[in-house]
Amino acid sequence: FLGAGGGNDIQWCFSQVKGAVDDDVAEADIISTVEFNHSGELLATGDKGGRVVIFQQEQENKTQSHSRGEYNVYSTFQSHEPEFDYLKSLEIEEKINKIRWLPQKNAAQFLLSTNDKTIKLWKISERDKRPEGYNLKEEDGRYRDPTTVTTLRVPVFRPMDLMVEASPRRIFANAHTYHINSISINSDYETYLSADDLRINLWHLEITDRSFNIVDIKPANMEELTEVITAAEFHPNSCSTFVYSSSKGTIRLCDMRASALCDRHSKLFEEPEDPSNRSFFSEIISSISDVKFSHSGRYMMTRDYLSVKIWDLNMENRPVETYQVHEYLRSKLCSLYENDCIFDKFECCWNGSDRQVEFSSLRTSDIPKIIVMTGSYNNFFRMFDRNTKRDITLEASRENNKPRTVLKPRKVCASGKRKKDEISVDSLDFNKKILHTAWHPKENIIAVATTNNLYIFQDKMN
Amino acid sequence: MLGKGGKRKFDEHEDGLEGKVVSPTDGPSKVSYTLQRQTIFNISLMKLYNHRPLTEPSLQKTVLINNMLRRIQEELKQEGSLRPMFVAASQPADPLSDNFREAQPAFSHLASPPLLPADFVSTMPLESCLTPASLLEDDTFCTSPAVQHEGPTKPPPPALQPVKDSFSSALDEIEELCPAPTSAEAVAAESAADDSKAQPGESNIHKPEGIPESRTAESKLMEPLPGNFEITASTGFLTDLTLDDILFADIDTSMYDFDPCTSATGAASKMAPVSADELLKTLAPYSSQPVTPNQPFKMDLTELDHIMEVLVGS
Repeated sequence: FLGAGGGNDIQWCFSQVKGAVDDDVAEADIISTVEFNHSGELLATGDKGGRVVIFQQEQENKTQSHSRGEYNVYSTFQSHEPEFDYLKSLEIEEKINKIRWLPQKNAAQFLLSTNDKTIKLWKISERDKRPEGYNLKEEDGRYRDPTTVTTLRVPVFRPMDLMVEASPRRIFANAHTYHINSISINSDYETYLSADDLRINLWHLEITDRSFNIVDIKPANMEELTEVITAAEFHPNSCSTFVYSSSKGTIRLCDMRASALCDRHSKLFEEPEDPSNRSFFSEIISSISDVKFSHSGRYMMTRDYLSVKIWDLNMENRPVETYQVHEYLRSKLCSLYENDCIFDKFECCWNGSDRQVEFSSLRTSDIPKIIVMTGSYNNFFRMFDRNTKRDITLEASRENNKPRTVLKPRKVCASGKRKKDEISVDSLDFNKKILHTAWHPKENIIAVATTNNLYIFQDKMN
Repeated sequence: MLGKGGKRKFDEHEDGLEGKVVSPTDGPSKVSYTLQRQTIFNISLMKLYNHRPLTEPSLQKTVLINNMLRRIQEELKQEGSLRPMFVAASQPADPLSDNFREAQPAFSHLASPPLLPADFVSTMPLESCLTPASLLEDDTFCTSPAVQHEGPTKPPPPALQPVKDSFSSALDEIEELCPAPTSAEAVAAESAADDSKAQPGESNIHKPEGIPESRTAESKLMEPLPGNFEITASTGFLTDLTLDDILFADIDTSMYDFDPCTSATGAASKMAPVSADELLKTLAPYSSQPVTPNQPFKMDLTELDHIMEVLVGS
């Protein structure tokens, strides 16, 4: 159960880890995106080498309820290949920037995967039976001489080893001059948007040779460019509403019904700068790296370099909550600028519970648990509970390898005397960053990606 | 630079800078503020000019670094610490001004980016219909009617347009020669848009009278340098790489090898100082109007000359 009923914090346990053990990370293995499908049965990861790996959860044995099903490899395929742009004399990376699942309509699964320039719709289907007993063909495929056929039989399906096939069904190309940072499927399940640094395009899933530009912030003179689009997402319920965030810390909500080109926003969300925190790096750390609507669609969450903010869509002038992810880095911004860490794009995610709450009847004692999660450095990740206002820092490392052992909370010592078990800021490993995390849509299972490993944690079941 | 979990020691230098947030108004910490600003300025420059990617650099990162540099430059300008760039060698060795001198040429033209008037309207009625994304491909000069600008609005100096337009139409011609990845409509839309843009420019070639010829380079730096936007397109780090490559591919590239932004070999490649006249001659065939070496144009190229010399030295 999801812990509704208030009070009990979730106790997270290590479940599994996927990926190479060596410290030497092959660049192609760097995980670049993680996404559960709508049922949570499938978990997809994309990497810098352009590959997609899908894990499937084992169907749990109902009688043996001490742990949920494990995730095992279901399908692996090469989604994107590196390309060369001859016009600009530059390589187009095959790195998968985002994966988004379509809701399941039939036996097959569909997902969208994108690199910097091209979006692809992949169909993942199972084959576990094959026809046998053809009249005109031998079992090995050779054709029989028709004159030797004396009787007729009806071919029958016989079971075979499960084969999972991935095939590209649509390729949406040539619509983005700049690098695609987001894709988002509309609640109509027919259209989706793709956003690059300066433009957002609207596609129909069936049509690949045409997309429509709905946002364009490219200035006539590129030298006047001071702001770029960093993320975009469709509203989960309203199919004409979407938001996009910028490098200046603003979020714009647009309604596609207002005009064909949504250059004028319906709402502009921006928090005025805190003058006491002003520094050279104020703008850079305000740049929003991710934006996610809550499942209900009433709130949205943004991630900037140091914090996570929850916004009520009805209030534009400030967020309703702000959570500090790693405030101790504020005094280190100059070094983080120098080594480029300040440009790291952390993602964030909601837990899956609030969607369930809408559809079930609530007892008055039920308080829906709303938790948000995001990553940090040193392979730490953080969770913030909106109701209790408590937060926790956990670490994804192979040292906490025992399943069903509750993870020990971590603490970073910002300054002064370091207590036992605390880690000082200066000891943090800035090469170990957790940028991508995902939460199972229905259960308390989370997937956390370190540089090249995928960790799966579950709550401790009694 | 950063250990893997090992103790990381900060430079004492950095410690002093990072200790706390300093504001420019504090007395004794004004020095450390200035020092920090200088450090950040240098780091930013290095980031922009030393980047040698095989893939395109992140536009977001470039924009953020660019904004940082502009802000620092604005601050320096307001503080009046602007030193003349072309003063004789007797200038006292002052780290601040040296660095500023280095940076000045690249960014002087960004000092107050003027807004182009909104009458550069594309021929597509964007408000009334959905624009196919194919029409946006490789279209540097595609304009959208409502462009968001957070900064203060400034009246655009009229001199900006003439040189820009002759250059821009030259660029467009070259652009048209390149195969468009999408439809031929893109090319047609562009040439239609270009015709409408060329009009306002052609009527006014000469610089406004407010700027007499005899101005020193120093005072010139305080104003946005007309025409520098396109002439220094090679040092403008936000220019579309597509057009830069197209443009410079057709002419003798030995003069442009110094350019760290468009050259694949980066900042360390050979630096050939270019004289203003040579540059002028090269650009002549690409303009649709006779390029009369009007005074301001020539002055800009002289400064370009100096920019290159400084970059060589940096």
